[in-house]
Amino acid sequence: MNIIESFGGMALGMLGAALAAALACVGSAKGTGIAGEAGAGLVSEDPSKSGKVMILQVIPGTQGLYGFVIFFFALNKVTDLAGISVQQGLQILAACLPIAIGGLLSAIAQGKVAAASINILAKKPDDWSKGMIMCVVVEFYAILCMLSSIFIINAVA
Amino acid sequence: MAIVKMKKLRLMAVRSVRDELLRELLRRGCVEVSEPSELQAEGFASLIRRESSELMAERGRQQALQNALGVLDRYAPAKSPLLSPKPEVAGEKLLDDAALDAALATAETLRTQSERIRRIGAEESRLRSTIESLQPWLALDLPLERNETRSSAVTLGSMPIRSDLGKAEEAMALAAEEAELFPVSTDKSQRYLLLLSRKEQTAAAQDALRPFGYAPIAFTGMSGTAQENAERAEAELKALAEEKLACEQAIVDLAGERDSLKLACDAAATRIDLAETEEKLCATGSTLLLQGWMPAEREEELAEVFERFGCAWETEDPPEEEYPEVPVSLKNNKFTNSLNMVTNMYSLPAYGTVDPNPLMAPFFILFFGLMMADMGYGLLMVAAAIVAMAKMKPEGNARVFCQLLLYGGIATFAMGVLTGGFFGDVIYQLVHLINPDSTWPGLWHLFDPQADSILVLGGSMVLGLLHLNTGMAVSFAQKWKAGNKGDAIFEEGALWVILIGGLLFAADRLLLPNPFLHWAGIVVLALGGVALLFGAGRHAKGIGKLTAAFGCVYNTATGWFGDVLSYSRIMALMLAGGAVGKVFNIVAVMPAQSFGLNVLTGLAFVIIFLLGHGINFALNLLGCYVHDLRLQCLEFFGKFYADGGKPFRPLKYSGTYVKAK
Repeated sequence: MNIIESFGGMALGMLGAALAAALACVGSAKGTGIAGEAGAGLVSEDPSKSGKVMILQVIPGTQGLYGFVIFFFALNKVTDLAGISVQQGLQILAACLPIAIGGLLSAIAQGKVAAASINILAKKPDDWSKGMIMCVVVEFYAILCMLSSIFIINAVA
Repeated sequence: MAIVKMKKLRLMAVRSVRDELLRELLRRGCVEVSEPSELQAEGFASLIRRESSELMAERGRQQALQNALGVLDRYAPAKSPLLSPKPEVAGEKLLDDAALDAALATAETLRTQSERIRRIGAEESRLRSTIESLQPWLALDLPLERNETRSSAVTLGSMPIRSDLGKAEEAMALAAEEAELFPVSTDKSQRYLLLLSRKEQTAAAQDALRPFGYAPIAFTGMSGTAQENAERAEAELKALAEEKLACEQAIVDLAGERDSLKLACDAAATRIDLAETEEKLCATGSTLLLQGWMPAEREEELAEVFERFGCAWETEDPPEEEYPEVPVSLKNNKFTNSLNMVTNMYSLPAYGTVDPNPLMAPFFILFFGLMMADMGYGLLMVAAAIVAMAKMKPEGNARVFCQLLLYGGIATFAMGVLTGGFFGDVIYQLVHLINPDSTWPGLWHLFDPQADSILVLGGSMVLGLLHLNTGMAVSFAQKWKAGNKGDAIFEEGALWVILIGGLLFAADRLLLPNPFLHWAGIVVLALGGVALLFGAGRHAKGIGKLTAAFGCVYNTATGWFGDVLSYSRIMALMLAGGAVGKVFNIVAVMPAQSFGLNVLTGLAFVIIFLLGHGINFALNLLGCYVHDLRLQCLEFFGKFYADGGKPFRPLKYSGTYVKAK
């Protein structure tokens, strides 16, 4: 406990904010990367599809955005609480975990769906929007993670 | 507002009027031809024969026209004005043989030119690689075909630059003393050498050089020096490039034919439909049998046509056992029509059941508005829908999409008024940026999704209960009408009793604590439970009663629990969209807060605002649509919907590129 106390609440809260942004962004980077690799293959065959490929590629990019939103909420909370205690710092750190972990993993999962949807775009271009819908199904869990993080941050007093 | 009533049409005509009759039906666009049901009957098949058509040839023609359009798009891309409506043409033009033949001739020209360009491309890359391979030998003034004299042989070859040339020469001198190597040129990795040797020693010299990485190079079919050959290839390349340009120009010159090609494409597609219809007809030597479906409301109009062609015909309402065969067409007003987007994507209702659109429309649009809930986004959607409808004059699915966008936008705006959202909280941020001492609390709102999230969650689930009960009411009515009154009472009825009991119980707990309500709730709940159990076990026998009842309780409890909880996504999306929007606003005003309001920070605000809300808007549009869709298709349809209707596809003009009048 002494070791943790020596960090101070502020550092713990900031660690949470940093994790929220960093892990979610890593997830999005991986997700968009997976989709981008598949997309580059298709565009090399048919450059006219690059617009649609781009849309599918950016879909796994939203987790990074959600992570950034939580980063913001957490940082605001850390600076708002004057003389933040270790407990409060840990609470904020806990609040950041849903989007940090959920964002990281859901973005990668979504990236795989997006890459598969690029296959739909290649083989059945008329049905590509169905692939988009499949991607959005994964998105919902990232949204839930972000909301849980917001709710916990708001509960920190 | 319902599923269009269909009639089964059976018609006999003289065979000579076949083409005219079919074209008239095409013009009317309201008869779907199916195969005569007598075909299966014993003995009938031998009496008649199927009409043949040129279906394969027609398909080939359409493909050729499509390819020609592709060629035009590649070499002479047309900038079609954004959001332009399809050109209107008279239907007769789609049946004009001469125009189609002319377009096919154009398509053939385009095909030959693009084929020629393709061949030129292959030839060009061959020449380029030749020039590439000649490059090291340009300095050699010996004709390439001269590889021997009376007693000596000339061999060209290469050796990696890292091999020691001196040692290689020593090794060669041991094997063939009169052989000699002349360096011609070097590049980054190779040294190019000419080996001069006595004919009988050539093989020995090459063997001695091989350990040093020496590889002979042979030019076949070339005469003259490398320089001459390279120049010749360059000249050929130039000529080919000119020819290619000419071919491309020839294609560009035909760009004016694009519209007639598009028209011909639709004409060919129309002919394919006609041919497919012809294949479904049966005929004897001089008579023709046609069977099909038509909307009952068009009967009078068609009767006049059939009289004119001297047909013998009859119509009948389809008997119930034929319902699975009857094609389904939905007829809706402007408002409910927008939900065809959902019904078409899911699956049409079976004939003889309920058109879900009018029931679904208010819920779908309300839910969508609740999830987006932002005045700014709502206005954007309405504007986009109005502009698209005015400019494109869309038909079919595109029109349905625009309508849905319009109504969704109106609902989004209305819900935005209730939550006080306008591009998140941008007005609040701006007011406080300009006057940091302002105490203005932001736009008026009935509730704040983030502060009152439990209220929003409860509200979402109450709406969900309403939604689900609407579905159950439909199911109840359907069962009642079909005579399954017992099922209706013991399934939907029992659930309603349970629901009322639950509401009484909840009222005691949450609103006004009252022992009467408490006990009344428990009694009603128990009654409903018994009715449900009895209903479930009604048709089962012996021990089966027990398992049926147990299964029913389990399914009902988990099913309803899951269904109602699923509506919490309304709250989730409402909150998420608002939160992301707010963070963008905060980030956008940050530069101005730190460095004061000036041109640069103002610009930063505009850029961050536009980018952020652009992303958030697009994301929300898609997300809300998909999740609204899910609530309708999974939760709502699950309660009553019988799908599996075949879409009604009457014989009509094809309209990919043009709109036939």
